[in-house]
Amino acid sequence: MTRFFDEHQHETIDAAMARIIPSDGGPGAREAGVTEFVDRYLSGLAFIYAKPDGSGFLELRGRSAQAWRRRIGALRQQYEEGVGELDRRSGERFGAEFRRLSQEGQDQVLAELERASSDQEELQEEKATAGYGGAAQPGLQEPATETGLDFFALLVLHARQGFYADPVYGGNRDAVGWRHIGFPGPASMAEVHSGEYSTLEYFAAERTDGR
Amino acid sequence: MAAKRKPERVSVCIVGAGASGATAAKVLTEAGVEVVCLDKGPHMRAGDFGGDELANVNRYYLWPDPILNPRTYRGSAGETPVEKLFCPVPQMVGGGTTHWTGWVPRFTEGDFNPRTIMGDVPGASLADWPIGYADLEPHYDHVEWELGVSGQAGANAHEAPRRRGYPVPPMPATRYAQLFHDGCARLGYNSYPQPTAMLSAPYRGRRATVQSAFVQQHGDPSGTKSNVLNTFVPDALATGRLDLRPESYVHEITLDAEGRAKGVVYQDADGDLIEQEADAVLVGCGAIESARLLLLSQSGRFPNGLANGSDQVGRHLTLHEYTAAIGVFDEPVYGWAGGGYVSAASLEFYAHDESRGFAGGCQIAAAGAGVPLPINFATPGTPVWGAEAKAADRELFNHTFAVGVLVHDLPQETNRVELDDGVVDAWGRPVARITHRAHPNDLAQARWTVDRNAEILEAAGAERVWPVYADRITGNCSHQHGTARMGDDPERSVLDAGCRAHEVENLYVIDGSPFPTGTGINPTLTIMANAWRVTELVIARSKRAAEPARAGSFRCAAHASARAAIPNPEASA
Repeated sequence: MTRFFDEHQHETIDAAMARIIPSDGGPGAREAGVTEFVDRYLSGLAFIYAKPDGSGFLELRGRSAQAWRRRIGALRQQYEEGVGELDRRSGERFGAEFRRLSQEGQDQVLAELERASSDQEELQEEKATAGYGGAAQPGLQEPATETGLDFFALLVLHARQGFYADPVYGGNRDAVGWRHIGFPGPASMAEVHSGEYSTLEYFAAERTDGR
Repeated sequence: MAAKRKPERVSVCIVGAGASGATAAKVLTEAGVEVVCLDKGPHMRAGDFGGDELANVNRYYLWPDPILNPRTYRGSAGETPVEKLFCPVPQMVGGGTTHWTGWVPRFTEGDFNPRTIMGDVPGASLADWPIGYADLEPHYDHVEWELGVSGQAGANAHEAPRRRGYPVPPMPATRYAQLFHDGCARLGYNSYPQPTAMLSAPYRGRRATVQSAFVQQHGDPSGTKSNVLNTFVPDALATGRLDLRPESYVHEITLDAEGRAKGVVYQDADGDLIEQEADAVLVGCGAIESARLLLLSQSGRFPNGLANGSDQVGRHLTLHEYTAAIGVFDEPVYGWAGGGYVSAASLEFYAHDESRGFAGGCQIAAAGAGVPLPINFATPGTPVWGAEAKAADRELFNHTFAVGVLVHDLPQETNRVELDDGVVDAWGRPVARITHRAHPNDLAQARWTVDRNAEILEAAGAERVWPVYADRITGNCSHQHGTARMGDDPERSVLDAGCRAHEVENLYVIDGSPFPTGTGINPTLTIMANAWRVTELVIARSKRAAEPARAGSFRCAAHASARAAIPNPEASA
């Protein structure tokens, strides 16, 4: 169900996401529902925070709602302009809209966009903060912020979010992302919330050397 | 609508209900003192938390929202500051302990004499602490046993003396912890289970930790992590003497005619401004926000900020930088098990050793590479999109862990917190402007230590190892210290050895702000132990002063203690 994207935007983003996490060797962004995940995110304030037990979504109020309205507004604009940018580059190179290109053509346009993105020195720090695409980083100890990311970086970050985040957000359908990497995630957020979800069986076996 | 009634004066007002504020609230209320504790954020409880990396890591569910709570940052005084979410900590009841994993090692004895041990490092403002390890040891013990810490006394060869062991045994070993032990053992290094604020076994009515994968940066839905939300806050509330007021944003600390702290002015959830008077004010907002609050509290007596006649408030800001060597193993290591931080550590490179070419050292420890999913983590040298990236995610996720360092950021007088002159927060108040540049010593230390970590991973059997070197200090650990140093010289420090302001006799700062140096060890246990120590001084001082008047009356006490030269029984020479 489309919420923010019109048909053209939806098909363009869906095509781009399917190249960022392709479907070869198992389900990719398309099967995970990554485009629907992003579409929900951009739809307003209804899908920002899942209820901790997974039973729905929290209603944002007050200052938090104001901040998110501003943030979503800026993201919408980036997506609108980003779709235009993909089509512009596709038109210049191939004379067609991005969504009409072959997979190889789409890869070329995305690679071009990535190069343009990498050339922007000042973005490297933002990408590092997002935990992606900048300097190599171990698992961050701080929030991953989208602030200041350009469109290409946003696309990749949102692809990963939609592929690996809890299915309650509309992506990672049937936990295909978790299955892809072998993560034994909870059956639902309720299992974590109730304190039943445990990873103890993935700890070391009892030591025998007495340490 | 009728104006709200001004609340009654209280004995102690604590600003901030995090690690230090909750500790003070517990100690005060259990000693019979009436306390009002204000916190800017909400009072979330176990039911508000879940396993949701997207909300917690990417969408500011617990982290401060940078649109509402911006900071600005610049590398040096000549640069234009930029808005940046610099070194955030959750701003809510529970503070940083709300989402921590709870690595709670004690400092070592040498941590209190860094200037004596390291000497004069050019460009750094190293200072010995006015207290020693022995001053904190009883309070380390209090916190470990009241909070519920898992650990193994004696396992750390570099551990300072301790009066007894831990209340619960060490956490069970993860595969990554065991491989870290194996690598250290092969190289002849001592390693030990990291003391952790979680329960390896039932303790005081709480069950053993469930070992969810969603731990780091997540709140605890199970009540089994030993954070202050599960322990000290309910302990203090149970006395009936804690008036906890969440969603109360403190604008300033006010002064009375005699130059003592009169109380605070705060804005409640309805937006109303309220004055809360108190006999003593304890500030525990974290080193950045506490300095900001002092600087915001301007008056005729203190035009440059409260207790800042020395121009020392905000200076000597120290942080930690987390960086690591990352290893890939043929066998599965499940770096996400237990959330990735049920871990093992070593202080083998901690003690200062001049032959390394840099001053000081830092703790190293094993950890997972994600929190837990590969959403916010890119493997060095791997494309970030396309089939190759997708394949790398699968190959690396169960086979990767890191050996990390907490870089010891040496203090410098120019690394500081000030008020920004252009940017305000959602409450209309000037935000903290951070000026910070890493000392070359710290980057050399990080590089050298990451190389040692790479060797440990190789010795543990890693097939590939990536060193990740820090090229700056970004404050990515949420660890903040300095900004209101304790010391004996009022010209060079803000607080005395008891963390009381030199210039304001009933004002205390109880978080990491008093730390003269940042050390290379997680600070929160020491913050809590020091808050416990300081709170006992507050109580003792008031009782002593009250004796001739009304025994046990705290209120008279703080007034009567005016300028009484009370020897500080805890401060070492």
